[in-house]
Amino acid sequence: MENGGHKLYEELGELARFVKDTMRTLSEASPQLSSSSVQLPAAAAHLSDLKQMTEDGTLEVMRLTEMIQDGHGQIAKDLSAVIEILRAMDCKSLVERLEKVSSVLLQDDKHLTEIMTALSFQDLVAQRVKKLVAILDEVQGKLVELVVIFGLQQSGNGSTASGTAGDLLKQLEASNTTAMKQQVADDILAQFGFK
Amino acid sequence: MPADPSMKILVVDDMVTMRRIVKNILKQLGFANIEEAENGQEGLQKLRADTFGFVVSDWNMPVMTGIDMLRAIRADEKLKAIPVLMVTAEAQQSNLIEAVQAGVSNYIVKPFTAETMQEKLGKIFK
Repeated sequence: MENGGHKLYEELGELARFVKDTMRTLSEASPQLSSSSVQLPAAAAHLSDLKQMTEDGTLEVMRLTEMIQDGHGQIAKDLSAVIEILRAMDCKSLVERLEKVSSVLLQDDKHLTEIMTALSFQDLVAQRVKKLVAILDEVQGKLVELVVIFGLQQSGNGSTASGTAGDLLKQLEASNTTAMKQQVADDILAQFGFK
Repeated sequence: MPADPSMKILVVDDMVTMRRIVKNILKQLGFANIEEAENGQEGLQKLRADTFGFVVSDWNMPVMTGIDMLRAIRADEKLKAIPVLMVTAEAQQSNLIEAVQAGVSNYIVKPFTAETMQEKLGKIFK
């Protein structure tokens, strides 16, 4: 019985040391955990920006493609009318040449439609970004839970973005806030005599 | 029954880029009477307020998904005969089976080509 009690104390002692070591490890991880919980929302916001940028770019390509398609439609109509007139006048050679132009236009229209459908990549990108943002939100929530449960400190290095991830985030922030618009660049160039 | 080029078509997708792509392809195929909705709920409202001959819908959308809208269409006496084509990135077999069970008319996996859309239209309106 006495021997069993001794063994129990030993086991409890080992358990206590394990709990203490775990708490110390978690405490040492505190800055990184806090840092990550700060960085994740920023990373998620950048991902959302990325989605918006691809959407804006895609819509602009679509707008221009549709303009070309409309132009082609008008040209095809006019060309068809001219071909009919020339056919009535028995200008076979001209009719043949214009029919070749028509077929090139038709082929180009197919390519324009292919450009439009190829742009569906943006939808797939957006859906994946949405999922990534949801994952980041969840991970951040869990990190915050850890911080709260273990009472980890959020002061010092932990509260600011640090390490490689922190540096990259700072670069992303900088590109958002300090990226120069072309108009501003042109204004500055103009001041230096560039025209 | 061949597709009537003047029929009203509803394109339902939360992504403006996808709605525009589908509209563009339908236009190239000779359909010009096209309306848009951003989610299943808005789609259902439009379907109940007007007469549509065809619906092209995404699956994943906020507020109401495409599959829920499809079920609502099939459960509605006035709407149940409208052909519904699903255009979606949900490419799992289980999704397709779920859509078939819900009464989808055909199914396109993104990314797709104009030829695929034309082929599916041909099958729906043969």
